[in-house]
Amino acid sequence: MAIIEISNLKKSFGKLDVLKQITFDVNKNDVIAVIGPSGSGKSTMLRSLVHLEEINGGSITIAGEAFVKDGVYAKPQDIKKITSKMGMVFQHFNLFPHLTVKENLELPPKLVKNEPVTTIQQRSMELLRKIGLTNHAHVYPANLSGGQKQRVAIARALMMNPEILLFDEPTSALDPELTGEVLEVIKALAQEQMTMIVVTHEMGFAREVANRVIFMDNGEIIETGHPSELFTNPQNERTKAFLSRSLK
Amino acid sequence: MSFEYFTSILVPMLEGAQMTVLLFFIAIIVSVPLGFLLTLAVKSSFKLVSLLAQGYIYVMRGTPLLLQLLLICFGLPMLPVVGEYLVFDRFVAACIGFVLNYAAYFAEIFRGGLLAIDKGQYEASKVLGLSKWQTTTRIILPQMVRVTLPAIANESVTLVKDTALLYAVAVPELLHFAQTAVNRDFTIVPFFVAGMIYLVMTLFLTFIFKGIERRYKFE
Repeated sequence: MAIIEISNLKKSFGKLDVLKQITFDVNKNDVIAVIGPSGSGKSTMLRSLVHLEEINGGSITIAGEAFVKDGVYAKPQDIKKITSKMGMVFQHFNLFPHLTVKENLELPPKLVKNEPVTTIQQRSMELLRKIGLTNHAHVYPANLSGGQKQRVAIARALMMNPEILLFDEPTSALDPELTGEVLEVIKALAQEQMTMIVVTHEMGFAREVANRVIFMDNGEIIETGHPSELFTNPQNERTKAFLSRSLK
Repeated sequence: MSFEYFTSILVPMLEGAQMTVLLFFIAIIVSVPLGFLLTLAVKSSFKLVSLLAQGYIYVMRGTPLLLQLLLICFGLPMLPVVGEYLVFDRFVAACIGFVLNYAAYFAEIFRGGLLAIDKGQYEASKVLGLSKWQTTTRIILPQMVRVTLPAIANESVTLVKDTALLYAVAVPELLHFAQTAVNRDFTIVPFFVAGMIYLVMTLFLTFIFKGIERRYKFE
């Protein structure tokens, strides 16, 4: 059964339609790469899944519960409950600069989740080990490299035990030599069967890790398929043009 | 110039300085939180609340503090009907004036501080499930404090010097005793002593704020 069902998503800023009838499903354990040129609506689509953007039409169903149905949103507390199944990693990390790495990880679950503090601390130590930053637990984000910041941001999202993790261009703000360490963490999550949607410009990564690639252009899904098909044998002209530009 | 004369004017002036310090603490302790509430009111989605707060800030920053003090001390009691209930002790009246005036300035400082906070901080908080209140108190406020500390320090130094306006509403404070001594003894020395005391107070304040800034460095 699909864990995310998105149907006929529509969004416009004034007269500009940024999303036109976006429809697709995400199954449990899927790793979906969303690719496409800038301004194609990839990020807006992703952000609407966690209610950072209001859509103007369509439905979003998470694990069987719709928080927006035919453009009508559920009650705020229901939206919150349903969207809490998803975690999000941003392009610009959005770590809390006034908190240390450990505090960044532990404050949100302490405030939101009904868990004993020791459980939360245990989980943060585990995740720090996983991202290889145990020695940086008491460091402030200002003293981390971009790659380290993004790994902390991923760990912070995982602290909430999400069922689905969304990545909004997680490596676009990084120096090229730092993207590898972040992609490694995402790859490791894929191996652990984490359900993920990754908006990315890293074609090599999409090809290697995703089990489905969605190509968006101008607010529409143009083509979707397994990376082995979509990258080697794209059907649509726009996909071909985009891939030949970005694989150069 | 004898040492005896120096101490004889220093003692009453230091007593006057107590008023200055007391006013400073009352004004800062009340006007900083009040200023933050005003900032929230300005940013409120209730249009009327926002407009009232903006109007208040405009009036308080757009008219002299001295005028406001004179109005509260000597103007309000002249109002028909309610005037007789608005006769305050001079010092209390001055405190009210300073608090109301400085709250407007602090509100503007905090508003600027909020503008400096990246919208990604709100987005991350929302996605992590924090409530609006938790986001404001745990995420936004500490960052706002860091951004606004230099401006708050600056405003506080101004406040120390503005306490001299107590002179105008005849509350005996540091400057009042200096002026009295100058007139009585026909010497310029008390003015310099007063200046020194102000300098000591602002220096002390500068050190305190430098210490707080170090604590809020987050590095």
